[in-house]
Amino acid sequence: MDVCYQRFPKVKIREMKDDYLKFELRETDASMANALRRVMIAEVPTLAIDLVEIEVNSSVLNDEFIAHRLGLIPLTSDNAMEMRFARDCDACDGDGQCEFCSIEFTLSARCTDDQTLDVTSAELRSSDPAMCCPVDQILRSASDSGGYDGSEQRGITIVKLRRGQELRLRAIARKGIGKDHAKWSPAATVTFMYEPQIHINEDLMETLTYEQKVEWIESSPTKVLGMDPNTHQVVVLDPEAYTYDDEVIKKAEAMGKPGLVEIYAKEDSFIFTVESTGAIKAYQLVINAIDILKQKLDAVRLSEDTEESLDQFRELGAHLGGGGN
Amino acid sequence: MKRRLLSLKEAYSQKKLIEKWHELFVEDEVPRCKREPLRGDNISSAAAAPRECVGPGPATRRGRLLSFRLFPALPSGVKLDLGYGIRLEPFQSGETPAACQASCRCRQAGHTYHGKFLVQVSFQYNDGPPVLETFSFGHLPIMLKSKLCHLRGADTQKLVANKEEAMEMGGYFICGGLERLVRILIMPKRNYPMGVVRSGFKSRHDGFTDKGIIIRCVREDQSSVTLRLYYLQNGSARLGFSIKAREYLLPVGVVLKALKNTSDREIFLALTSSMVSQLAGERAKIILDEVKNLSLFTHQQCLKHIGKHFRAAMDGLETESYSVVGMAVLREYILVHLHKPEDKFNLLIFMLQKLFAIVDQKSLPDNPDTLQNQEVLLPGHLVTIYLKEKLQDWLFKCRQLLTETIQKAEKNFDFQSLSEVKKVMQKANHRSIGKSIESMLKTGKLATETGLDLQQRDGMTIQAERLNFLRFISHFQSVHRGAYFTTMRTTTVRKLLPESWGFLCPVHTPDGEPCGLLNHLTSTCRITSCYDSSGKLKDFFKIRHSIEYVLDGMGMNSSLPKLDQSGPPDVLDVILDGRIIGSIFTFLVHKAVSHIRKLKLLPSSGIPEDLEVGYVPITIGGAYPGLYLFTSPSRFVRPVRNISHISEANADIELIGPFEQAYMEIKCADGGDGGRSQHFPATHEEIHPTGMLSVVANLTPWSDHNQSPRNMYQCQMAKQTMAFSAQALQYRADKKLYHLQTPQTPIVRTKAYSKYCIDEYPTGTNAIVAVLAYTGYDMEDAMILNKSSVDRGMCHGYIYQVDTVDVSDNKSSETKFFRRSTTDKSVNSLIDSDGLPFIGQVIKPKEPYCSIYNETSGKIKTMTLKGSEPVIIDSVSVDGVSSKNSIQKVDVRYRRMRNPIIGDKFSSRHGQKGVCSQLWPDVDMPFSGVTGMRPDLIINPHAFPSRMTIGMLLESIAAKGGSLHGKFVDATPFARSDKKGCPEDDSNSLVDELGPLLASKGFNYHGTEVLYSGILGTELVCEIFIGPVYYQRLRHMVSDKFQVRSTGTIDPLTKQPIKGRKVGGGIRFGEMERDSVLAHGAAYLLHDRLHTCSDYHIADICSLCGSILSTSVLQQQKRTVVREISGLPPVRASKKVICHACKTGKGMETVAMPYVFRYLAAELAAMNIKMTLRLSNEAKATEA
Repeated sequence: MDVCYQRFPKVKIREMKDDYLKFELRETDASMANALRRVMIAEVPTLAIDLVEIEVNSSVLNDEFIAHRLGLIPLTSDNAMEMRFARDCDACDGDGQCEFCSIEFTLSARCTDDQTLDVTSAELRSSDPAMCCPVDQILRSASDSGGYDGSEQRGITIVKLRRGQELRLRAIARKGIGKDHAKWSPAATVTFMYEPQIHINEDLMETLTYEQKVEWIESSPTKVLGMDPNTHQVVVLDPEAYTYDDEVIKKAEAMGKPGLVEIYAKEDSFIFTVESTGAIKAYQLVINAIDILKQKLDAVRLSEDTEESLDQFRELGAHLGGGGN
Repeated sequence: MKRRLLSLKEAYSQKKLIEKWHELFVEDEVPRCKREPLRGDNISSAAAAPRECVGPGPATRRGRLLSFRLFPALPSGVKLDLGYGIRLEPFQSGETPAACQASCRCRQAGHTYHGKFLVQVSFQYNDGPPVLETFSFGHLPIMLKSKLCHLRGADTQKLVANKEEAMEMGGYFICGGLERLVRILIMPKRNYPMGVVRSGFKSRHDGFTDKGIIIRCVREDQSSVTLRLYYLQNGSARLGFSIKAREYLLPVGVVLKALKNTSDREIFLALTSSMVSQLAGERAKIILDEVKNLSLFTHQQCLKHIGKHFRAAMDGLETESYSVVGMAVLREYILVHLHKPEDKFNLLIFMLQKLFAIVDQKSLPDNPDTLQNQEVLLPGHLVTIYLKEKLQDWLFKCRQLLTETIQKAEKNFDFQSLSEVKKVMQKANHRSIGKSIESMLKTGKLATETGLDLQQRDGMTIQAERLNFLRFISHFQSVHRGAYFTTMRTTTVRKLLPESWGFLCPVHTPDGEPCGLLNHLTSTCRITSCYDSSGKLKDFFKIRHSIEYVLDGMGMNSSLPKLDQSGPPDVLDVILDGRIIGSIFTFLVHKAVSHIRKLKLLPSSGIPEDLEVGYVPITIGGAYPGLYLFTSPSRFVRPVRNISHISEANADIELIGPFEQAYMEIKCADGGDGGRSQHFPATHEEIHPTGMLSVVANLTPWSDHNQSPRNMYQCQMAKQTMAFSAQALQYRADKKLYHLQTPQTPIVRTKAYSKYCIDEYPTGTNAIVAVLAYTGYDMEDAMILNKSSVDRGMCHGYIYQVDTVDVSDNKSSETKFFRRSTTDKSVNSLIDSDGLPFIGQVIKPKEPYCSIYNETSGKIKTMTLKGSEPVIIDSVSVDGVSSKNSIQKVDVRYRRMRNPIIGDKFSSRHGQKGVCSQLWPDVDMPFSGVTGMRPDLIINPHAFPSRMTIGMLLESIAAKGGSLHGKFVDATPFARSDKKGCPEDDSNSLVDELGPLLASKGFNYHGTEVLYSGILGTELVCEIFIGPVYYQRLRHMVSDKFQVRSTGTIDPLTKQPIKGRKVGGGIRFGEMERDSVLAHGAAYLLHDRLHTCSDYHIADICSLCGSILSTSVLQQQKRTVVREISGLPPVRASKKVICHACKTGKGMETVAMPYVFRYLAAELAAMNIKMTLRLSNEAKATEA
C-alpha cells in the first residue's frame, strides 16, 4: 500500500430507473468499488419465501420443486433493511413466524376446466401486500395507473395445472442475504468498469488512408471509434464502449502503426451498472449497500478499539491496528 | 407313398403353426412417432411361411421334428401333431385378460406381460381322421408393441392414457417387472460357405489340416445347423456336423453319392471343372476312392452306410430302416437350408471347389471376424428356435410317457381312448413351455441340450435400463460379438475393420473390457426381416423365383439341367441364399449385376429392395469368386444413393449389405473422388457422412473437430448422464431412477438431435463456462461451480428409488397386513392409519416408513429406512391385495434430493469430465465488466491442449453467438464436407462463420472476454474464453460413494474394523499405504492407525511356557467392594490369571498386540503347531 490518504469518493448518477442504475464512482480505488459490488450482490437483505407448508399438491411437480420455484420469486423488500433476521428475532424466538421477521403468503389454485391453468406468482396472496408481495403484482398495480402494458404482465409461472389438479400452500417469506442463498440477492447484475482514456495519436493517424481508417475503426467490435463525416477524422465516439479487448491496439500493430492509439484505464474512476431484480429499487440497492458497507466498517472499527479484539482477530487485528503506520 | 401323403399334411399344419408363431412374437416394423425406426426392422420374425414345402419335393423334412408316430404293441398307432397357436389378448399375470393398462401395471407390480399360450394338438390313429385337442402351454411373454400387444399401433394419446411414454417404441419384454430385451448377437452369415484357416482343425483328428469350409445352414424356421468341411492332408475332405454337441465326421464322397444317384464320372467332372489345377483331378480321385474303399458303390449303399452309423444317434428313428435313417441324416444335418438333394449336391461340390481353391492358395480364406461374413441373431428368431426345441422336448416326453404306460400295461389304460391318452400327456408338464420361454427372457440363459447351434448359452437377454433415454435406445442398437470372445486373449476380434463401415459405429463402443466386442449399429443401419418396408410378410419363394427369372433373362444358365461343366474363370456360380441356381459367363456378370441393382430400386420389379448382390469378381489370390445373392432376414443393410441409374428424385436410395459393400464403389459426398481411378468410377454415393455414426455419437456437436477417443468417451458418458429419464415417471417403479429437475435443450445441436427428438428427454444444462485457472480448485479436471447458479436450480436432480414391501408369505400360515399400532403413537407422524407412509413425508434414516401387523402373533413390525440420507415419500402404490381385501404388497417410492455438491461429476459433450471441487460464491467468481456476467462453471485451460477437444471450444463460441442472436446453431459433424460441387469453398474455417456472429454483437471475435477478479475487482491479466457449453451431470455422485467411519462395527473374528461401505465399514489401509507412511517415518501414526485404532488387544501370556492360548482369567471368588469416588472411574478389580499348562499364575505377563495375532496362534494350534512366545523381560523374571 503505497499511498494511504483519506479520499472522498464522488458519485455521479447517469441514468436511473426503478430496476436500472448507471453511475460513476470517482476518486476511490478498485477495492472500494469491488466491495460495493460484492455487498450489492451478496449482502443487501431482501425478502424471499423460505418456508413452504404444502397442504395439497396434486400437480405434476413435486413439493420441493414448487418450494424452490416459490423461493426464487422476487418479492418487494423495501422494508427489508428494517426487518429482523429470523435467527435474531426476539419476538418469536427465532422460529421466524412473527410480523417482525416474516410475511406469510398463501396460494390456492385448482383447475376446474379443460384448459391448462397457469399458476403464477400473481396468485400468491400476501398477508401484508403493502409490505411485501411478488414484484410483478406491484408492477401490475402500477400498470393500472398507466405505465406498463398490463397484458404483458402475467406473473411468474409456478406450475401448470390440468383439470382436477390442485395446489394449496402456505409460505413464509423471511429476510436473508444473497450470501446464504441466491434467492435473497437483490441484484440481477452489478458490474463496474474502469473508465478508459483513449488518446489517438493524431500525427500517426494522418498517415492512414481513408480505407485504413475505416478498417481500423471497424476492428473494434464495439462502437468506440467513429469518423467525422466531414473532416474524415477519427474521433472517439464512446470511450466507455471500449471493453479493454485491445482489438484496436492489435489492429494498429498489424497495420504497422504501433502507438496509433493509447488506452489507459483510469485507476480511480469506475462506471457502475446496477440491475435490480425488482425486490428493491436500484438506487435503494446502492444506498443499502453503502449502509451495510458502513456497518461492516463500523464493526471492524469497534472491534479495533477494544483490547480483546486484538486477541480475537490476532493477525487481522494486528494488521488493522499497526498496519497503517 | 402313404407316408408321403401323411407328411404333406404334417407339413401343412407346420406351416400353419409357424404362421401363428408369427402372430405370437413376431414383430415387424414398429411405427413410431416422428422418429426414424430405430429398432423396428431388428425385431424380426420367426420363420417365413414355408410355401415351398407344399409343392412337390421332399416335404417330409420338418415333419419328424414336431410330430411323431407311436406304434405300440397294439395294432393301432397314434400320431401326434401340433396344430396352431390360438391368439388371445395379453394380460398381466393374476388378472383377467380384460385388464387394461396391462403393460404399465406389469412394470409396477413386478409381473410379466404375457398372453395365454394355447396350442392345438392333433391326434391321428393310424390313418383315421385327425382329432384336434387344445392344450395350454402356459403363458408366453409378449413383446411390447408387437402384434399381440394392446399398444400395437397406439398413438401418443393412447400411450399416455395407458401410462406409457408418449414415444414408447416397444421392442422389449416385461419379465418380472423388468424391461428385458434380447441382445443382438453377431452370427456367422447364414447359408454362405466360408473358407477358414483355423489351427484348431489340425487337432481334430490325424491327417487333418487347418483349412476348411464352414457353412451355417438356416432353415425357414430359423433353426440352424453348422456344417464343416475339413481338408485332409491326403487331399480328401471330411464333412463334420454336431448332434447333441458331439461332432460326427463323414467322408465327403459318401455324402455326395448319398445325395444324388450319380456316376463317379459326374462327380469327378464337377470337382475338376473350376480353377483347373492338376491337383484337382487327383483329389477327386482320392475322394471317390475313399468311397470305393468302404465298398460302397451305389447311391443306396451310401445312404444305408450313413443310416447304419447314425441310427443310434438319431432320436426316434431307432426302428426305421437304414436308408430311412440315412435320408433323415441328410435331411436334418446336411445343408439343411436346402431341400432338394440335387441342390445339396451342387452346393457341396461348390464348397469342395472353394476349399481346394483355398488349399491351392488360388483364393484367400474368408475372415470370420469381418462384418462381411456376419449377420445377427434377432429376438424373434431366438424365441422361435428355443420354443421349437421346447415343443419338441414336450412331444418326446409325451411319447416316452405313453410308451411307459403301454408297456406297464396298466389296467385302466385304453390306448384307443383319446381322453386317457390325453390324461397321460398331461403329466408331461405342458405348462412349463411358456414358463421356460419366460425364464429364458428373464435370465438370458438357454436351458438346452443341443445348444441350438449358438455359441453361448447365457447372456442372451439384457435389461433395458432407463437411466436416460440415450442409454435406453443404445441397448436396442447394441450388437454383441458373443460371450466367447470376451475371454479371448487376442485383440483381433476387437479390431475395427473397414468392412463394418457404415454398419457399426466406429465411435460408439465402450472403453475397456468389452471394447470392440460390444458395438452399436449406425443410425442408418437396418436389419432385414421377414417383412418388407411396407410391413407385408415377404414371400421368399416368389422373391427367389423372380430373381431367378431375371437372371435367366440376363444369360444365366440354370443349374438343374447341368449341361456345361466349366467353372471359373469362364463362368461364375450364382448362389442365391445358399443355393446354386446356375452359372453365368464372366463377361455377362457385370451387366447382370448392374441390371439387378436397377431393378432393386424399382418397387414393382419383384426384386426386394434389400437384396444383397455380392459379386465377388475373379481376382488373383483374392476371395473366391462368385455371384452371391442374399434375400434372407437378419442381414445388415444400409441406404446409399445409387448414382449410376439416374431415375426419379427419390428412387435412388439403394439398400446395401456388408457383403456386397466390399466390392462396390461408393464415394463419399464430399465432392472428391476418394482416390478412385478412372477405371472404377463410383456407382454409389454416401447419403451423408454422419450415417456412419450411431445415434448417440451423432449427438456430439462437431465431433469431427475432436480427437477421436474423446468422442468415444462422450458416447460412454452420454449414457451415464442424469437426465430427464421418463415422461411417465410417476407410473414407473424402477429400482433406481435418476432424474434431472430442470434440463435444457442445447443451443448447439446436431441435426440428429431434432431428428431423434432428444428434446423429449433432454440431458443437460447450458452452463456459462469460463476457461481459466482461477483459484487452483480447478486443477486436474476439477471444476468450480457457481454457488448461486446451483441455488437457482442448475443441475438439480433426484433419485427415485422403489422399495417393494410384500407381506404375503406363502410358506408360513401367518397372515399379515399393513396397520399402524394403536398403542404406540410415536410413529403417527410418519405413518398413516393404514400402516403406510404419508405422501410427501420426509423420512430420516432409521425412521419407520411402514408398519406391518402380524395377525397370528399380534405383533407390529415396522420397516425402517436404511442408508444415511433422508428421503421423501414420493408415492405409494398397491400391487397386491389379499382375498380378504387387505393390502399385501406395496411399492413405496422414495425421492432423494441430489443437488450438486462437492464431489459430483459433470461432463461436457466432448469427453471432458470433471468433478465439482467447490461451490464458489457468486461474488468471488470473475465477472465481465461489460455484461456483469459471472460464469456458472470454471474449468482449467489444461483440459484442452493434450485432449484436443476443439469441438468444445467451437461449441462455446457457437452457443455464445447463438444465444446472442436467439438462434440454435447447427453443429452436425462433417457438414462442411457435404458441400457438393464447390470443394474450393472450404477455405474459410468454421471459426470464420462463428466469429462474425459474436463481433456483430460487440463481442470478441474469438469468444474471449475481459474478466475482472471477483475478489479483488482488478482486471485479469488474460482475456478469458467464456461461453455457454452444454453440460451433463453424470450419475456418479459422492453421496453414493463417500465412505467414512470413526468407530463402528468390528469383525467378530479378528476384531478389526469391517469392510464395506453399505455396512458402515472403513476403507482398507493396506500395504501400500503402510509403506508410504513408513517412508515418511511417521511411526507413531502407523502404530495409531494399524494397531490402536484397529484391533488393539492386551493379552495375558505365560512367560514360563510362552503360550498365549493357555492363559485364562480365574473367576473372582469374592467381590471386592469397589469404592466409587465420584467423578473417577471405579478402580478395576485386579484379576487373577493363571496358565492352565503350567498350573500357575506366576509367570503371567500382559502384552499389547493385535488381536489377529491371538487368532493366528489359535489357527496354528488347530494345525497342531504350537506357538511359543519369548518375552524380552523373561530372562529378568527368571533371574529375579
